[in-house]
Amino acid sequence: MNTKTLMYIVKRLILAILTIWLVITVTFFVMHAVPGGPFVGEKAVTESVRKAMEAKYGLDKPLFEQYLTYLSEVVTKLDFGPSLKQRGRNVLDIIADGMKTSAMIGIIAAIIALVIGVILGSVAALRRNRIIDRVIMVITTAFVSMPSFIMGTLLLTVFAVRLNLLPANGASKNGLILPIITLSLYPMAYITRLTRSSMLDVLGQDYIRTARAKGVSRAKIIFGHALKNSLIPVITYFGPMLAYIVTGSLVVEQIFAVPGIGRAFVNSITGRDYPLVMGTTIVLAVLIVVMNLVGDILYKIVDPRITLE
Amino acid sequence: MKNKVLAAGLAGAVLASLSTGCGGGNTGSAGGSTGTSGSGAQEISVCLASEPGTLDPALNSSVDGATLCAHLFSGLAKWETDDSGKLSIVPDLATDLPEGVENADGTVTYTYTLRDGVKWSDGKDVTANDFVFAWNRAASPDLAADYCYMMEVIKGYEDMWATDANGNLTSPDAKLAVTAKDDKTIEVTINNYISYWNELLAFPSYYPVREDVVSNESWATDPSTYISNGAYKMTSWEHNSVITLSKNENYVDSADVTMDTINFYLSDDANNMLTNFENGSWQLIDDVPTNEMANLKAKYPDEYQVKGQIGTYYVCWNINQDLLPASSTLTGADKIKAESEIRRAFSLIIDRNYIVENVAQGGQVPASSFVAMGLTDADGTEFYKNAGTSSDYDGYYNVSPDSYQSNWNEAIEILKKYYTFDEATQKFTDIPSMTYLYNTNEGHKAVGENIQGIFAGIGANMAMENQEWATFLETRKNGDFTVARNGWLADYNDPISFLDMWTTNSGNNDVQYGKGDNADVAAFSIDCTDVGVDLKVENGTWAQTYDALLSKIKTTTDPTTRYALMHKAEDMLMETGCITPVYYYTDIYMINKNVSGFFSNPLGYKYFMYCTVS
Repeated sequence: MNTKTLMYIVKRLILAILTIWLVITVTFFVMHAVPGGPFVGEKAVTESVRKAMEAKYGLDKPLFEQYLTYLSEVVTKLDFGPSLKQRGRNVLDIIADGMKTSAMIGIIAAIIALVIGVILGSVAALRRNRIIDRVIMVITTAFVSMPSFIMGTLLLTVFAVRLNLLPANGASKNGLILPIITLSLYPMAYITRLTRSSMLDVLGQDYIRTARAKGVSRAKIIFGHALKNSLIPVITYFGPMLAYIVTGSLVVEQIFAVPGIGRAFVNSITGRDYPLVMGTTIVLAVLIVVMNLVGDILYKIVDPRITLE
Repeated sequence: MKNKVLAAGLAGAVLASLSTGCGGGNTGSAGGSTGTSGSGAQEISVCLASEPGTLDPALNSSVDGATLCAHLFSGLAKWETDDSGKLSIVPDLATDLPEGVENADGTVTYTYTLRDGVKWSDGKDVTANDFVFAWNRAASPDLAADYCYMMEVIKGYEDMWATDANGNLTSPDAKLAVTAKDDKTIEVTINNYISYWNELLAFPSYYPVREDVVSNESWATDPSTYISNGAYKMTSWEHNSVITLSKNENYVDSADVTMDTINFYLSDDANNMLTNFENGSWQLIDDVPTNEMANLKAKYPDEYQVKGQIGTYYVCWNINQDLLPASSTLTGADKIKAESEIRRAFSLIIDRNYIVENVAQGGQVPASSFVAMGLTDADGTEFYKNAGTSSDYDGYYNVSPDSYQSNWNEAIEILKKYYTFDEATQKFTDIPSMTYLYNTNEGHKAVGENIQGIFAGIGANMAMENQEWATFLETRKNGDFTVARNGWLADYNDPISFLDMWTTNSGNNDVQYGKGDNADVAAFSIDCTDVGVDLKVENGTWAQTYDALLSKIKTTTDPTTRYALMHKAEDMLMETGCITPVYYYTDIYMINKNVSGFFSNPLGYKYFMYCTVS
């Protein structure tokens, strides 16, 4: 790794920290500006109870003071505070609980999407304009254009209701199969199309023609030269995709009742559980920033011609 | 080559993770195992709602959380059904539920004796001191529980919450008047006689907890620290997923408990619940998709259950919003009286039967009063049947389908007094525009749209505005609305739970009685001298009349007088027209027909301990 690359990474890290600070600040103040609070409900608590609760959680202090306290707790102690709605539980525990499931189904879905997507994309490129290419393209177009809530509901109806093969809730391990499939279909289709067009592009390059002219075997051309180079766009897509799958599975988690971070996030907002809103936002923001950074660095590793500055 | 290795590695990882994902599950059935296993143990899987906020009985304020607490804890009294299916409150850990002894100052003292052999799930004895500690804790400002006011009937509660002018507590060491005479005897003094005292003893806030257990603030979130004394102990809690309860062998009546294991799945998605019910994974679901109700009722006549629940769905009007046309010169008390009449007219033209049958579709009952069906009067009859002044119908409106036309005609005549009526179009031309506020939900929207359509029929233009839940609550509480949907479910069988929410300073006073412009309007009258109570105010403010009346109710010990006063309070509320009852709530759930021994109570709590699955 040369100095330039190192400088680039340091610069990106500083930017990442700034981004996350900005996210914390904006979220903190916007969250408090939104009407409603953690202690409102259809049955209002008495004024004295509300005051007692606010004092207990420091919500009676001036907003800026609350912000500084929060920031220092997070930075110095990595303490995200207690949940206001799930009394007795820490925000970090709730996030860890949700992350366990979300990360598991997200990573599995991403791997499935990557493996199948690359294989299908390569097959389609190598068999361009043949039947198999057409079939792959039609199917992937369908998957790319179908929103996850329709796909999820469809899979649920077929496999959980009609065929009764799999459970309809994500409480058991078997129950995670359908959400994983639902989550993987869109990125799989996207990677297939990405790989296909990228490989077609690579296959038309001069160096491939040269290799062919020199009599290099077809397998070596494909696996040794074409595949590696056609994976560059896939790799840049993989980082953000992983972050998207892990963080963006709110709808899928709702449909299949998966106990993931998406549900914790949505519930924290509707319940105005301030510390949990902050905690989940920070974790998701860090995840996205880190994944993007990793994607960029991988980009460089795969293709040394690319300079990072 | 490297790529091949990478691809093979990735493929291997996928297969490995998938096989892990598939492992351990039962292959034949899609859902959790249910019914009787090989050893004859009974197991049931149910879904009531999503993750409860807490399972600490003192902190809980949700119905689903209360159901769980009722399985995990045992108080002095409990709900039970007899052979005929009739629900009643019976002694649980107390040997009996004796009558109280009235003291000279009007307070009432009760003495309870604990049964022999009552134990915590870790084998230690339950003592009278556990109750004393738990009740003081539930009432304390330190805990600041949502339901701390459930303890306000006990002497000493007011002292605990007394504050000085700056809002600081004046007696932080104050305690409730509850003492442990010995390990087995509890003595408690309440402020005055109340008919629902035994019912309170069965309420989760009144369950005992042990000081050494709850000293760990996270005790109620982890099965290893969750020590309970009821029919069940918690064996696992996978957050946001499932809570499993197993029979507590240390429970004093464990021989009567037939269900060995209960899995409470945690989801609030009605569609997901239905899918799991239909494929047999869950035997009871506590919610069904609104748009599926009619189909489900026809498809599952035995499983689809509609039970009474003590609550009212209503529309509330902001008392401070103008309803009179711009040309009106009425002010002060005259204006209040005119607007009360107008609101009553609008209430009359709402077609409650249509809403119940075609919009809500959940077996609800058209409401003619605010105090819900199911609450009893002093003589044991239904309170709402004795409400209002008419002998022809129950409550404040005639809600029978046959009377709709006459209601309509009456309403038109009232409105003609205040607005210009165009005979050609049969519509009023100068009713000010209104906005109907509701929280984002298809069901509430449908009810609002029906009302909007009816109002449009007489020329009243009402726009619809929806807000997200927490925002909606705040907007409504602050009185930034003209008309808003509302609903109230009682915590116990006493009309006071519907009436004390409308005192000026109540946090639930969404109508804004006695607040803002209404604070100084002397437009209300009350006369209680006919029932022997010294309260007569003519043309007083809300605080001088309604608030004063509620204070009288709270200190009246004679049940007949107290109920008569509560009828007067409801009369006052309905007189303002600010509360338009639409229907009485029902509790809708689906239960597998192979389940027997199940019951629920009017508060919506569900009981599975005596269930069997065949």
